[in-house]
Amino acid sequence: MDLLLEAIAEAWRLLTTGDADVYGITARTAAITGTSTLVSMLIGMPAGMALALGRFPGRRPLVALANAGTGMPPVVAGLIVAMLLWRSGPLGSLRLIYTPAAIVVAQTLIATPVIAALTAAAVMALPPSLHLQIRAMGAGRSQYLWLVAREARLPLLVAVMAGFGAVISEVGASMMVGGNLAGSTRVLTTASVLEVGKGQFGTALALGFILVAVTIGVSLVLSAVQQRAQRR
Amino acid sequence: MTTTRRNAPAGAPVLACRDLAVVRGRREVLRLDALEVAAGATVAVLGPNGAGKSTLLLAGALLLPAGRGEVALFGERPRGAADAVRLRRGTATVFQEPGLLDMTAQRNVETALALHGVPRGERGPRALEWLGRLGVRHLAGARPHTLSGGEAQRVSLARAFAVRPRLLFLDEPFSALDPGSHAPLVGELHALLASEGTAALLATHDLSEARLLADRALVLLDGHPAQLGPTREVFDRPAGRAVASFLGYSTVDASWLRARLGLPAGPAGDAFVPPAAARLAGPGDPSALAARVVAVLGALGQGRVVVDAGAPLTAEVPVERIRADGLGAGAAVRVAIDAARVAWPGGSAD
Repeated sequence: MDLLLEAIAEAWRLLTTGDADVYGITARTAAITGTSTLVSMLIGMPAGMALALGRFPGRRPLVALANAGTGMPPVVAGLIVAMLLWRSGPLGSLRLIYTPAAIVVAQTLIATPVIAALTAAAVMALPPSLHLQIRAMGAGRSQYLWLVAREARLPLLVAVMAGFGAVISEVGASMMVGGNLAGSTRVLTTASVLEVGKGQFGTALALGFILVAVTIGVSLVLSAVQQRAQRR
Repeated sequence: MTTTRRNAPAGAPVLACRDLAVVRGRREVLRLDALEVAAGATVAVLGPNGAGKSTLLLAGALLLPAGRGEVALFGERPRGAADAVRLRRGTATVFQEPGLLDMTAQRNVETALALHGVPRGERGPRALEWLGRLGVRHLAGARPHTLSGGEAQRVSLARAFAVRPRLLFLDEPFSALDPGSHAPLVGELHALLASEGTAALLATHDLSEARLLADRALVLLDGHPAQLGPTREVFDRPAGRAVASFLGYSTVDASWLRARLGLPAGPAGDAFVPPAAARLAGPGDPSALAARVVAVLGALGQGRVVVDAGAPLTAEVPVERIRADGLGAGAAVRVAIDAARVAWPGGSAD
């Protein structure tokens, strides 16, 4: 019980005194996961739309692959990216291993299938007659895609929330390709693991609080956007 | 924004289909040698469910690729997908389901106007004008899920007319509506088509709708045209037993019917008796045929009984009379036939 109370007190101190390390890690986490989520959206949403609307050979296996990818274990994603970016690996010359960029690549590998699969499911759930109606209204290709995305906007926001949730909470891939380097690739999850290993439960708890607060905060913002979209 | 108006050859039909064949899956669902819709005219496409009516409309609206043959809108054949979009912008389509987007009624109309290149400043007033003309201006801010079926279909029609189409595709637009919403809307559509000079291709299995709205009618049976002609001609002179059966007419031997009605002999063949030409008569009508009721049928607003008068005949009977007389299978009745309304072989009773 003492351990828990001491940890909470230490966490409170770190949060209220504006500990530079804690806030530095938080800002870095926001930048890395924000970038990963954005890149995953830019790849995953068009890919999901193509899977839902396209008629091409191999579409069904690709949908199945995207669905399977939603359960991609972060350590496997980390392993794949580590092998690619390792100094002697095929992309070793880029010298990205143990950099924030490497974490972004690994997290993108985790979140993209999630966003693609949920985007495809969202678009496929629209009534077939709606697609016909939009085309009958005189929509060109890009107008058609925009209106379809607009009709599916609520589940598409859920896809973004799920993608963000997948990357903000993962630790295995960040540890593997980022190396948990202080001031460079240390993010909230990897820092928490490190602090627990050192027995610094107060710091770990403070990082945990922030992690939960960031997750809830982003979810609240996206939920607000979702409710606003529902009213429009 | 390019419009179809500028390029359309003068005098060309707004829609022309030639040697058209549409295959869905591996099955040919429509085959049509020729169909034209003239500017400002309404053509009804009649047929039972699965006859190919919707397929024809989708092919005509360039929403479904024709496996063979050609479809020309406003005298032009599309040269690729982008060209099809350009030509389609001269048309509008109203489906059985209103198909409203998840936005307010006004924004639905404005979105259609935006797709047709109407400047932003004109969209709001024009949307409100058309919502008003369809009697739903007060619902401009309503979202689709708050509208009744009739209200939603009115918004859908406002969205279609607002883009000022030269050709309107109407795919059973009223079949999902209750009678209270249906009848006024059909009347309003009739007035709008006339006042706007909009041509229309109307798929329906509602015969009264077709008679009111269409100049010409095409009867499709099992994906093939069974009859195409002026609407009145199709109803007055069905082209054969299949068309007559679809229209609900009784087919009897013309010589037998002439003899029973005391008419002079005429050309042999089938006579087609519309239900409205047969009525139950009282005992004092000497020309009426003695018959027995075989079955009582329900129909919108009107009852029908099938009788055996030596040949099966369907007669229109007010539902009140069916109930009051307790008509049922086996009941003895007398049926009077209006010979002038029968489609005789050779064109007339004598």
